[in-house]
Amino acid sequence: MDECQSAIPAHDGDLHVVAAAHHIVKALGTTKNLSDDLRKILIDLDAHLSLITSNIDSKGGKGFVEVEERLKRVERKIVIWESDRIMIWDSGPKEASDYLEAVDEVQTLIDSLRGLSMNENQKQKELLHRASSLLQMAMSRLEEELIHMLVKHKQQSEPTYIPSPSSQRNVVYNESVVSLDNESAKEASSKNSCSDECGEYIVDLVPEHVIPDIKSIAKVMFASDYSQEFCEAFIGARKEALEQHFDILENGKLSIEDVLKMEWCSLSTEMNKWTWSMKIIFGVYLMSEKRLCDQVLGEFGSVNSFCFLEIAKTTILCLLNFGEAIAMGPQEPEKLLRLLDMYETLADLVIDIDALFSEDGGSFVRLEFHKLLEGLADSIKAAFNVFGVAVSSNGSLYPFPGGGVHPLSKYVMNYISMFPEYCSTLNLLLEDQHSDVASLVSEPQCGPTASLSTSCPMACHLRSITSSLESNLHKKSKLYKDEALQHIFLMNNLHYMVQKVKGSELRPFFGDEWIRKHNAKFQQHEMNYERVTWSSVVLLLKDDNPGSSSLSKSAFKEKCKGFSVAFEEVYKNQTSWCIPDPQLREDLRISTSLKVVHAYRTFLGRNPAHVDDKCIKHTVEDVEKLLLDLFEGSPRSLRNSRRMMKT
Amino acid sequence: MDTQEQELEDIELFQKHVSDRFTELSSPPEDDALLSVSWLHSLLDVFLCCEAEFEAILIMDRDPSQLSKPPFDRLIPEFIERAVKALDICNAVANGVDSVRHCQKLSEIVISALDQNPLGDGHAKRAKKALLMLLSAMNLDDKEGTHVKATERSWSFGRRGVNKEQIAGHFRSLSWQVAKNWSSAKQIQSMIYNLVAPRGAEASGLPSPIYTMNVIMIFVMWALVAAIPCQERNGLPTHFPVPKQLNWAHSLIGLQEKIADEWKKKEKKGMSGLLDELQKMEKLAQSLIDFTDSFHFPGDAEKVKEAAANVSELKEIFGRMDQGLTPLQMHIREVFHRIVRSRTEFLDVLEKGSAPVL
Repeated sequence: MDECQSAIPAHDGDLHVVAAAHHIVKALGTTKNLSDDLRKILIDLDAHLSLITSNIDSKGGKGFVEVEERLKRVERKIVIWESDRIMIWDSGPKEASDYLEAVDEVQTLIDSLRGLSMNENQKQKELLHRASSLLQMAMSRLEEELIHMLVKHKQQSEPTYIPSPSSQRNVVYNESVVSLDNESAKEASSKNSCSDECGEYIVDLVPEHVIPDIKSIAKVMFASDYSQEFCEAFIGARKEALEQHFDILENGKLSIEDVLKMEWCSLSTEMNKWTWSMKIIFGVYLMSEKRLCDQVLGEFGSVNSFCFLEIAKTTILCLLNFGEAIAMGPQEPEKLLRLLDMYETLADLVIDIDALFSEDGGSFVRLEFHKLLEGLADSIKAAFNVFGVAVSSNGSLYPFPGGGVHPLSKYVMNYISMFPEYCSTLNLLLEDQHSDVASLVSEPQCGPTASLSTSCPMACHLRSITSSLESNLHKKSKLYKDEALQHIFLMNNLHYMVQKVKGSELRPFFGDEWIRKHNAKFQQHEMNYERVTWSSVVLLLKDDNPGSSSLSKSAFKEKCKGFSVAFEEVYKNQTSWCIPDPQLREDLRISTSLKVVHAYRTFLGRNPAHVDDKCIKHTVEDVEKLLLDLFEGSPRSLRNSRRMMKT
Repeated sequence: MDTQEQELEDIELFQKHVSDRFTELSSPPEDDALLSVSWLHSLLDVFLCCEAEFEAILIMDRDPSQLSKPPFDRLIPEFIERAVKALDICNAVANGVDSVRHCQKLSEIVISALDQNPLGDGHAKRAKKALLMLLSAMNLDDKEGTHVKATERSWSFGRRGVNKEQIAGHFRSLSWQVAKNWSSAKQIQSMIYNLVAPRGAEASGLPSPIYTMNVIMIFVMWALVAAIPCQERNGLPTHFPVPKQLNWAHSLIGLQEKIADEWKKKEKKGMSGLLDELQKMEKLAQSLIDFTDSFHFPGDAEKVKEAAANVSELKEIFGRMDQGLTPLQMHIREVFHRIVRSRTEFLDVLEKGSAPVL
């Protein structure tokens, strides 16, 4: 109102004064005892006042004429666009600013016309009516222009830096992975490579140069009390744009029922997509949308946050819903890594969410996502527990053939080797369960090798899991009837565990003490195996009578035979056993060789007289060679070997 | 009194409470007409109260293994399954409330436009535009991909051709989808499926409150779907297989029949929600759009007066929506979270009660 010049020169007040004076004059004129002079003055005054009034009227009349002229001019400027198919803002900046000026003028005229009291002036009413109709026409037009602008420029602003979701590593970790070696297992890690680099990116959802245009329309529409129409159009267009971006991210729209029934492979993909979408939507699009709203609506108070919330609502509720469905679901161990991804992503974003929805209207958004974060935390803790229980209770009906590394060991060790990546999160979440577990893990980490990493909650929990694994393996070993095989089995598996710890991120969390201890354990089993298998065999070759020169022929024959039988028995059995690790296999062969071959050689050496006897089935070299067949995992009989050796 | 007797007493009390609460809902005070925003609030409160009592009876101080034996080994998982379906309905309805809020926003424009003295052509045009959008928003088929079924009188927008689709697109993106091909009607149908009242000995034991709670849950979800426009309500069942001889069920059945009648009437005309305020708003919008269509400044004094009365009624409805809709969404979220918790509780009980896995 400050800038508007009053179009009509006369003031309400003036007219009142004149009217009042006129009234007084008339009243005075009726009094009886008026002197001639006084009467003359009154008549003069009366005439004067009448003149003023008619002057005002005519001036007022002149004033309305002026208003009408101005209205006509501005009408032309506005109506001319109605028949045009071209958009005003497409035509050029001058056309746009002219139009806005015209609308401003209409509003000014309306304000002035309203400023007058509503006397019975027909002209005034007519002009006011024309002006407000014109205003409505202009507002309608501005709404169209706005929508056109937002739609046209939305399509041009596809950010190009966002990698397509398919490039994200998306290997599903399940039992089939146990056959992978270390390298591929590392690749199967679910952690999104972008997670560290992808902080917040603010993009221009609408090109910079368009913003002032939108703002100018906003200003005019708000000033004319058409703010609701502006918001409707703005929200509608921006909402559609956001939802298109969201659609590109291909989050399957899933009901809670769907999610709870989904099988693991698909669910894992969806969880990955969710993690990615959260980063993109909150970290990029919503931050940018907020900035856009601030730029356009910043000066209009709470309307700004209202519009932003309306634009964002549908999309964020969709994301929230999926997260809640996951948090509700059965907490199976295989979900752990994906759950950790989801948790970490949300934990990072929660600050942004709080900032984006800081006003009252958005409080439920903040609340719900905080609740979700808690829910995911609970899920992770539960899944971790289930994992531990599953490891100890994994039962076998039959002994694992060959005594090699059990799939359970592979699964567990490969799986937990991926946990250190989530160390800080796991430490946070497992903290309150720490004290219970620490006491269970009967390997106190003290001394110079103890450190923060070995005593942190995650480390304690992981060691408790490997502890459970060990106990389970012991149980499984009892399924073998052959004690020697029991030891082979345990040796293999414990060795595998140690190798995994040494060769992965687990090392700092298990510590050197643990490695030493477990080295000792599998070496113990190695020794036990040897004792159980070969002691009796070697005993057969023992010199009963030390000191006496040599054995009788029959005694020699007996011993030879005994040794052959025993040896062949072992050969038959143990060639089908397995020691997968080449180094370990080699170690065992060497150590066996040292014992057995040495004893045999000694035995033969002590009885040189009988060396050419036919009863010697195997030479020392034979024995050496045959020992190499052990633990290859393919069962052999001596006949085969013989044939092979002969050729 | 031994636990068996105590239990029977608790069950009886529970069912008496249920009956009382639904009787209250059947005769709402003036302002809280059936299926109005505040009536829905009351309905949700009833649900929360009943659910709390139900959980107390079933879970508190009870040996979990009892609930793992027949027939509970079937009844409890069935209840949990229905609860999950109810969750999806809660989401659909809470988002349906958003489309009602959109109607509220549009009515605000209508009010601003027509609350003028003297009323001019410009005001009438403004109101008419908003009224057209309002009516089409209310009559929007909640199927995916259907375009605006509006009464297309002189749609002043169509000049540049591009805008009709944009506006239609505007509406489409307003309807939140639970999932592709999800149907609230089918969801309710599947909740009703297999719902059988306990007979014989079971009727006087724990299976009875389980059945009661199932019925309550289904009824509440059904009423919400009937009232609030949400995804795919075509084919909403109108009949519940609840035996009439059950004492506690009388008021509930009465309510259900009343609402079902309304539903059947409206189904033929096209589907805005049965929400009381929405129905009233639709009527007012229809008569106001007739008014704005025929209005020429300065307009017929009688008609202008009538319109003003309509506007003032519209203002009242707007006020009730403004007060009650967002809280309604929050209330539905509360119910949602309660059902989630309850489901978790029951899952825990089942787990504890079943034999330990080797």
